Formats: sequence, C-alpha cells, structure tokens
Amino acid sequence: MTREQARDRILSILSESFEIENPDPDADLRAQHMFDSIDAIELLASIEDLLGRELSQEEKQRAVDIRSLNQIVDYVVELAGAGR
Amino acid sequence: MERRVVITAEACICPIGRSAEQIADNLLRGVSGVRPLREDPVLGPYLHSRVFGTVDEPIEYDFARQHRKTMGPVSYYACQAVKELLERAGLEPDFIRSGRLGVAFGSIHGSPTVQREVYSKLLDGEGPGPKRIGAADYLKSMVHTTAVNITRMFGITGRVISSCTACTTGSQSIGFGYEAVKYGLQDAMICGAADEYDLTTVAVFDNLLACSTAFNDEPHRTPRPFDARRDGLVVGEGAGAVLLETLDGARSRGATILAELIGFACGNNGGDLILPNAEGVEATIRAGLDNARIAPGEVDLVSAHATATRMGDVVEAQAMHAVYGDRPWVTALKSYVGHTMSACGALETIFTLYMLERGIIYPTLNLEEVDPRCAMIRHVREPIEAELDTVAVQSFAFGGVNTCLLLRRFAP
Repeated sequence: MTREQARDRILSILSESFEIENPDPDADLRAQHMFDSIDAIELLASIEDLLGRELSQEEKQRAVDIRSLNQIVDYVVELAGAGR
Repeated sequence: MERRVVITAEACICPIGRSAEQIADNLLRGVSGVRPLREDPVLGPYLHSRVFGTVDEPIEYDFARQHRKTMGPVSYYACQAVKELLERAGLEPDFIRSGRLGVAFGSIHGSPTVQREVYSKLLDGEGPGPKRIGAADYLKSMVHTTAVNITRMFGITGRVISSCTACTTGSQSIGFGYEAVKYGLQDAMICGAADEYDLTTVAVFDNLLACSTAFNDEPHRTPRPFDARRDGLVVGEGAGAVLLETLDGARSRGATILAELIGFACGNNGGDLILPNAEGVEATIRAGLDNARIAPGEVDLVSAHATATRMGDVVEAQAMHAVYGDRPWVTALKSYVGHTMSACGALETIFTLYMLERGIIYPTLNLEEVDPRCAMIRHVREPIEAELDTVAVQSFAFGGVNTCLLLRRFAP
C-alpha cells in the first residue's frame, strides 16, 4: 500500500465514520475534531479491516500517542509493510 | 436545613405527543397512543400481546456526532427531552456547568436495542463476535446511559443519580432529586426517565400473563385500568423530564413555577418481588403524606399507578381506600399511553402538572364498567373541571418498590 493509497483510505474512513472532512494533515484531531479514545478504538477496528488482519496488542498500544492524520497514515503504511 | 422545592420546567416525548398543548388536547379528547406492534421477526411471532404505546412521530435529533456516538435510542429520547427542558427553563449556562445542577435520570435497563445487537454479534456465527462489539456499545447500553449522556451533552458537573428500579425509576428520579434540592445538596436537579421501543419487555410481561391480549384488533381500547374487562398492561415508550429547583432560586431568576413538590416517600413490600401488596402500598402513601406534612383529606386527586392488571388495580384501590376513603378523584393515565416503564412516573407527574395548570382532571380512558372490586374509590370517567390544590402521583415496581410523590399548586 502506497502512502497516497493509505491517505485516501483513511480520509474516507474519517469522513464516513467520524464526520471529519479533509482535516489539516498535522492538526491534533482530538483538539480540532473531538476525536477521542472511543473514536481511536473504532478507527483501529477500521484499520484492521483495511489491512485484512488482526492487530496485535503491541501494535495497538503503539497507536496511543497518535494525534494527526499524517501520524495515522505513517502508522498504517508501517503496519502494511510489516504484514507483507 | 430544608428548602422548598418547585418544578419550573417540563418536557416529554410520549405516544400522545411532544408538547404540553398537544398532549393536554389528546388527554381531553380521549386520544390513545396505543398502536399495533411493529414487525419484529425475532420476537414478534411468539408474542400474544400485539399492542404497544408507540411514539410514531419523527423526532429530529440534531445532536453533534461526539454526542450521538454514545447514545442508543433510550439516550436519544432522554437527551432530546432534556434539550427541550433546558430551552424552556432558561437557566444560565454558567449555572448549568456550576456543579450546583445535578441529574437524576434512569431507564429500566439501558438500551435493549443495543444489547440485542451485541448479543447478535456474539451469537450469529458471522465472524469473531467479541471483536465486533463496538467501543461505544457499553456506553450506549449501560444502565445509567441516559443520565451520563445528559451530563456529557450539556456539560453538567453536579451529582448523578441513576435509579434503575423498573417502573419506579422515573418517580424515584424525581423523589431523589427532590431530596437533593430540599436538603441543600444541589440547587437544582434535572429529573426523569426514558425507555425505548422494545419487544423484549413485552415478552417478559407476556410470559407472566400480565400483558393485554384481548384488544389486539382495537389497540385504543386497552389498557383499561379499573375496568371490569381489563386484561393486562400495555408496554409503552417515551421520556419525561422535569427541572426541580429551590423556590428562592426560581424566584430570584424570575422562573415560571409550575407546581411545588411537597413530599416524597419510597418503600418496599418486604417480601414478594412481583405480587402487589396493599399493606406496602398503603404504608408508602401514608409515608408520603407524612413527608409532605399533610392529612389525607387534603389530597384532591390521585394519579394511580393502575397498570390494568387484574390484581394490581384491586390492590391499589384497596390501599387508596384505606388511606383516603372515597374523597379524592382517582385517574389512571396509563390508559392513554400504555405503561411506559421507567418513564411512567415522570410522564404521569407531567400530565398532572397539566391538570393543575388547566384546572381539568383527565379521566381514565376505557373505563366503561368499573370492576366492583375497585368501585370504592372515586373514579374519573369524563373530563372534570376542578380547582386542584394537592395531587398525589403513585408508582409501583417489580421488586416490591412503591413510591408516592405529592405536588401542590404553587401559592406565592
């Protein structure tokens, strides 16, 4: 999965599931869009669907500090590479 | 320290309307909100009772996503009612967030719709069940989901009470909120209850032979409290909310006072968890009168619990007669909307406010031939113009819980 593909899919998920449209790539989603811990858990489930595999507890723990779209995309690209 | 407590706003969603004008008009015209069951392929084929007190009106929930995401249907009802309540109340935003305003709100068991979805995911064999449980599913379905969705949506930081005592949930919310304000623990309380459309509740009462089944083809003719042909309760849905505050606080902000809440009692039968008990009900009524420091002869009207079960109505009539004789008028408001479960105590309190304000007693619907065993009390069988001063609202629940609220027309 290229970075562009990952970005498009995440933007689509943010729009459809969280009503967040075209966020600033580096903006803190929690501060600007009230994206909270419940949303983060839901997003992780969507990322599992996107990758077609279950994430380990360790992989999920690494998402705790993620705040922005760019960080989410980095995370997904890295996971996609790891699962290849 | 005891402070006088007044009701300064109300809001509700119920099978006969949303606004005071609409509901009062339907009560006056004898319009029923009982309708045929909606289709339900899972439970529908097994139910004998085919009627439900249904909210058919579309409701505009213009809540932001961060609020919607933790709500099941029951919390939508609760938050919509409280949204309208706060719009009517005109409280200052600073007061709402001050910690001096609390919430007492409940439902019989959270959101059964969401609970059904969770169990379906676990048991449908279509994938890893536990992994499909959503992050917010518990928040949508937990017992205190109504109360805390209200606090979150409106930023309320005061105490939270979430009674879940089945059919006394709403009356306990008002009663416990009353005590919190009366004794100075909070300056105001948002009190009420909600329950959503749910056929598992129908199934429970159906299995206990407590549901009405004889009027499936004429839903508006049931339930029939105190009537000789009554054959059980009709489950309903809805939400009711009232704002309680100190008399001094209401006066200082120029609020409209709908009524004064002068007493509350809650007791238990101390025995069977299902069977109604005249001694227990009588004791609670007397405790309510003591708490209000009034004599039985001062009560003009009783809003009876009266679910239209064969035994419950007789027991309640006996208890009322033992305390009041045949002096106060008695009306049974579930005859219009069915038994809205947790919400009944709140909705019936609100309907009582309409009667106090308008000077009209709305009669028990479908009371065509009074059961001789219930005939010793003073039934209301058609609308009566009456200058009401003091009114009692009774609610009883599975578990043997009994409550009595006492309201009085506000005299400045």
